[in-house]
Amino acid sequence: MLDSRVAQSAIDHAIALGADFAEVFVERNQVNNIATLSNQVRDIASGIDFGVGVRLVYGAKVLYGYTNRTDAEELKRIVSELAAKDRRDQVSAAEAFDFRTTTDIHQAERTLAKDSEVRDKVGYLFAADRAARAASNMISQTQGACGQREQAVEIFNSEGLHIRDTRHYTRTRIQAVASNGTEQATGMQTDGGLLGWEIVETLDPAESGAEAARQALVNLSAKPCPSGRMPVVIGNGFGGVIFHEACGHLLETTSVAKRASVFHDKLGEMIANPVVNAVDDGTLLREWGSINIDDEGMPTERTQLIKDGKLVNFLADRVGAAQTGLPRTGSGRRQSYQFAPASRMRNTFIEPGAASFDDMIASIDRGVYASHMGGGSVQPGTGEFNFAVTEGYYVEDGRIRHPVKAATLISTGPDVLQRISMVGGDFALATGMCGSVSGMVPTTVGQATLKVDDILVGGNA
Amino acid sequence: MAGTVEANAERILDRVSAAGATGDLVVQEQSSLSLKAHNGELEEHKVTSTRVYGVRVVRDDRAGIAYSEAGDAAALDSMVEQAVVNAAFARVDPAEAVAAGDTTLATDDAILCPEDPTSVEAKIEAALYLERELTARDNVRNVPYNGVQDLRAERHVFATTGRTANSRNRVCSAFAYALMSDGEKDALEGTQRHARRFHEIDTAWIVDETYQRCVAMLHGEALPSKHYDVLFDVEHQADLFAVFHDMFSAKTARDGINPLRDKVGERIAVDTLTIRDAPLDANGLGYALFDDEGLATAATTLVDGGVLRTLIHNSATAAHFDVPNTHNALRSPRSSLGVGLHQLEVAVGDVDEGTLTGGEYVEIVDLAGLHSGGNPVSGDFSFGAAGFLCRDGERIRPVRNITVAGNFFEMLEKIAAIGDKQHWNPERSALMARIRFADVAVSG
Repeated sequence: MLDSRVAQSAIDHAIALGADFAEVFVERNQVNNIATLSNQVRDIASGIDFGVGVRLVYGAKVLYGYTNRTDAEELKRIVSELAAKDRRDQVSAAEAFDFRTTTDIHQAERTLAKDSEVRDKVGYLFAADRAARAASNMISQTQGACGQREQAVEIFNSEGLHIRDTRHYTRTRIQAVASNGTEQATGMQTDGGLLGWEIVETLDPAESGAEAARQALVNLSAKPCPSGRMPVVIGNGFGGVIFHEACGHLLETTSVAKRASVFHDKLGEMIANPVVNAVDDGTLLREWGSINIDDEGMPTERTQLIKDGKLVNFLADRVGAAQTGLPRTGSGRRQSYQFAPASRMRNTFIEPGAASFDDMIASIDRGVYASHMGGGSVQPGTGEFNFAVTEGYYVEDGRIRHPVKAATLISTGPDVLQRISMVGGDFALATGMCGSVSGMVPTTVGQATLKVDDILVGGNA
Repeated sequence: MAGTVEANAERILDRVSAAGATGDLVVQEQSSLSLKAHNGELEEHKVTSTRVYGVRVVRDDRAGIAYSEAGDAAALDSMVEQAVVNAAFARVDPAEAVAAGDTTLATDDAILCPEDPTSVEAKIEAALYLERELTARDNVRNVPYNGVQDLRAERHVFATTGRTANSRNRVCSAFAYALMSDGEKDALEGTQRHARRFHEIDTAWIVDETYQRCVAMLHGEALPSKHYDVLFDVEHQADLFAVFHDMFSAKTARDGINPLRDKVGERIAVDTLTIRDAPLDANGLGYALFDDEGLATAATTLVDGGVLRTLIHNSATAAHFDVPNTHNALRSPRSSLGVGLHQLEVAVGDVDEGTLTGGEYVEIVDLAGLHSGGNPVSGDFSFGAAGFLCRDGERIRPVRNITVAGNFFEMLEKIAAIGDKQHWNPERSALMARIRFADVAVSG
């Protein structure tokens, strides 16, 4: 995408101005998004994002700039502007590029470059709409979305790295709205992966539509949720957002290096109940959060974070590794050329255990079963996190009683990790988008159903 | 080689017309400086420059959009072709046409995009100062989030009808969030300020305010779960309204998911609540002379004495509902035509500060999970929160690790009082009187 001589001249210029390290990140992002409303196509949007990010490192300082242009003069201008306050005599030499081939372990077939396949995607969304409406005449509206993205990246750096990769992302979403004439409630089914439109071969639009409708109808019948501290059983799949927020962000060197994580000095210590084993794995075949190489050009890997309750590793990008002395983990990620990379999660999950769902529910006198979770957020410095329950049930005397309306669960990472007492075997993964210092990146969360003995439930009862 | 915006716009709209379509074009240009400090040194120095073109074509009553960050002729021609192809798949919608008119609008740079006399060196020193001064305070462990930004944006709208609109805008900002620890207790608190020119920002105030917030919140505890009267600080009151902005959207009404779609002319709130959209209040940083169809804006009363007077419209929703256009079109280069508020204003009520803060209530100064804990379709919300248990205007004790939950639409009908003074939120995008909400579920 970028003439290597242009990249070389920008990097040589940076090194001549005394930078310890220089990198050029080139991105071409092709997008096609389809939105349906009921059985009509509401919008189709397509486009090309293209730009070049330039990163210079002087000691612990990161200088970053970007542009849409690809000529050497523009990149050198950015380098000069960035280095204006830090320029010094040259301290290192830029190595000649050595092109490395990326091993593509997530090969896509029905790619955007070949065909956007609008008719087929619209057909899928319409079929899901019909299934949702067939569930009940109380389903008042449906919205469908299918997004496909082809992100080509090319990375050059002053250590001689020259590498390319292409990532294919596809995601579908079906939302149903249920109404009883006075109140409305919603349900949503989302699927996605690191692959092309062949994802449709693994999806059943009837199931997706019916599931969105089921959630909406359950929520329409829900009663206000009780509030206060109580045990909560958290469902599998997207329930894994609890670990993502409660712990995952606190293990990124982005916060660890600044001692802005409550876990920054806990390596080797027991930070969780011994039933907890947690992993961040960028290599899972065609999973939404997977990558071949990270956005610094390093092949990604599987990183065990917690083993039998003990903290055994952090997630480190280049700068984070330099600041902490930890090894890089192939976790340097960014939303686009407009962001400098940072340590970020990929596919993050708690490994399955052996507890049964029935035993978890039976152990609760008064609590909540949160079968479906929404998003959340965390303050790394204090570990305080929140996440939303999008489908929940009141549990009393060991039995599921009735649906409850949306609630928020809040706690701190160190506290909740100690209170996970039972982990089931029904492991599943789910897709999400994670926002942090380097923008929004695709991430997968996952877990089996698990029980937290005591957590604050924010309900409206 | 990329041409000027005007030359490229002419080329794009000529191609649209040649395809037998009408259309409009949004171009956004942005350049920024971003600085962050860590351990007494500049940790991040970011300089950016981007331009993106987004075209909407309408042919045979079908609309399609496409965008490009590449400005060369081939890329722009391809963008138009793709938009035409996309339109062919879209629903037939006679309401979505390119709005009539050939007006020319331009904002005054002296007001919205002034030259900033503060040098880059001084901004770097300001970023270092924020971190240095806070780190030196008692019990401050570090200042993990801090920075100084200078953002300049230019927005152009062109239409095949001959309409053009252009606006340049500058916003400088500074922020700091400090992590304070005392034994087992810790707190991460901070604040931010925004202004047209950097010297209008008082960085010493940011340091003092951030420190005081940390001190105040450090020993916060939960409080008994029950229903309380609640007052949000103006920052989070504006955030709360933003979660439910779609209640005013004619587009979601047209899509059948806005619960207020059939409520125009009906009472939706207590009779003391009046809400306006005030795009032309130049004291705010959300000032907008025109919307994203390039049409001149004007103030709009949305809720008057508790009665919903209108939803917000673009030309398409106004045509669909056969009502006047409120000129609230919202469209980025990458998105389809929607609607959005420019500058929300909650009018003053008749209650003085002493009455507003009488008796027991919870003052909320922090909300978490705004992106995930609210459902604009049902109105239900549940957020993590922090603040103070108060009585008669006095903060009795800090409260943390609590939640606030309810239904926003029902809360509008349970407003206990509205203050008689208006305040800007820190981003200066909303001007609001403070509202005391009655009977809100707070859990601790």
